[in-house]
Amino acid sequence: MSEFEKLRVVTGYEFLKHIRRRRLYIILGLTILVEAAVLIAVPLLMEEGYPDNVMVMAAMLSIGPSLATIGAVFFAGDAIAGEFEGKTGFILFTNPVRRITLVTGKYLAGLAAVALLIVLGYVIVSISLLIIYGTVPVETAKSFGLCLLYGGSVLSVTFFFSSISKGAMGATVITLVFIMVVSAIVDSILIMADKPHWFLLSTNGDSIATVYGGYELFLEGFPMAGMNIPSQWFKSPDISLMIVSMIIYLVVGFVLSVWISRRRQLA
Amino acid sequence: MPEPIVIENLSKYYNKFLAVDSLSLSVTENSNVGLLGPNGAGKSTTLKIMCGLIRASSGTVYIDGISVSEKPVQALSRIGAIIETPEFYTYLTPEETLSYLGRLRGMNGDELRQRIAEVIRLVRLEEWSAVRIEKFSRGMKQRLALAQTLLHDPPVLILDEPALGLDPRGVVEFRELIEEVGREKTVFFASHQLVEVAQICEEVAIIDRGHLLAYDKITQLEEKYQSLESAYLQLTGEVL
Repeated sequence: MSEFEKLRVVTGYEFLKHIRRRRLYIILGLTILVEAAVLIAVPLLMEEGYPDNVMVMAAMLSIGPSLATIGAVFFAGDAIAGEFEGKTGFILFTNPVRRITLVTGKYLAGLAAVALLIVLGYVIVSISLLIIYGTVPVETAKSFGLCLLYGGSVLSVTFFFSSISKGAMGATVITLVFIMVVSAIVDSILIMADKPHWFLLSTNGDSIATVYGGYELFLEGFPMAGMNIPSQWFKSPDISLMIVSMIIYLVVGFVLSVWISRRRQLA
Repeated sequence: MPEPIVIENLSKYYNKFLAVDSLSLSVTENSNVGLLGPNGAGKSTTLKIMCGLIRASSGTVYIDGISVSEKPVQALSRIGAIIETPEFYTYLTPEETLSYLGRLRGMNGDELRQRIAEVIRLVRLEEWSAVRIEKFSRGMKQRLALAQTLLHDPPVLILDEPALGLDPRGVVEFRELIEEVGREKTVFFASHQLVEVAQICEEVAIIDRGHLLAYDKITQLEEKYQSLESAYLQLTGEVL
């Protein structure tokens, strides 16, 4: 039996895990809730109803699928650490399957679960834009691609932390702190200092919305009239640089997680 | 034809602690060998190295002549193992778990379905075969663990305290089962239970602090030390 066939088997059963776990449906529910909140709150907060510019609304609606990418952290936190912590590795690792096949299968299954949420998120975005504006801008497809790439890179970073953590909860928390606290704080400092920040994972996540026209356009959707916002806040990093950054996070995170998993012993 | 299990000069350090010390032994085909020793003797460590779960600091384990460290996939395809108290994915049923593991070992279709039904019947989990494992007791999981070792009909069984968590009836059934399958397989079996080992195995290896103290037929040890229990206590220094 080839490793490719084993990969298919591992991916299939790991995807089944995601389908049967509550967390997929919780994140799906949150995504729908956020989209509903944006659709209800925007006309209430803005005197003239929905913004005239479809791109502004599209950027604001991208919050939902962006949230779905965070699901990657919850899908992948226990992917590797859980086998050691939960002792399921005593069964799985005594089978004639290479660790790289197991980790890759788990990664692909996690990616498929995240992609499922992202697709559903963009279906909501597209239907909403069609109903409100009668059109869906082509940038939505670009935003969708960037969202998938961001989900993949978040998944890789989570896999890395899962491969070095003793427990699944620890891996999940460390990843969330890394993305939402450490990376976000450094991001804010670099923005204030007017320094490049395209290489930060939190910045990369912004590309999902800024692809519609930069931070300025995105912030148009929020009631900030009269606020004195520093000009550097509106500088969007180059999308192509952020794509490179996400690919690096994706590849490096995944390769490291495979390498560490292969060396890790189940004592 | 190479011997099914050959352990050559095996050592394992955990940092500075020597868990297995230059252990060498070989197990002949279709023999049932018990691995005895007190807590911390190195039994589980030895079995984990045999299953590729941990790496030896030095030395080699061969399964059917294949080095576990050099060709783990080929070596593992020849064994069925229960190590410690394994856990299963709680979101799967026993049927699904065995289907997953069977497919990873290249089984599929009717052959796999029939074999799953056979091993589930063998470990008496028929009524629970379609119930998610999250509802299972320790003993039921241990039965399932035994089912997965037998699923692909491997020539070598490596079992670490496999009766742990089973109720008295389960222990008896388990012994009978291992006795039966052990006639056609090589069984390497770590346990604290001397009675259990004496019933299932013809030979025992007694280790302590990673050292091999004796490896002989039970009848020979009984002749020399009067009983297997005396042999164990004298050799491991646990004389009452």
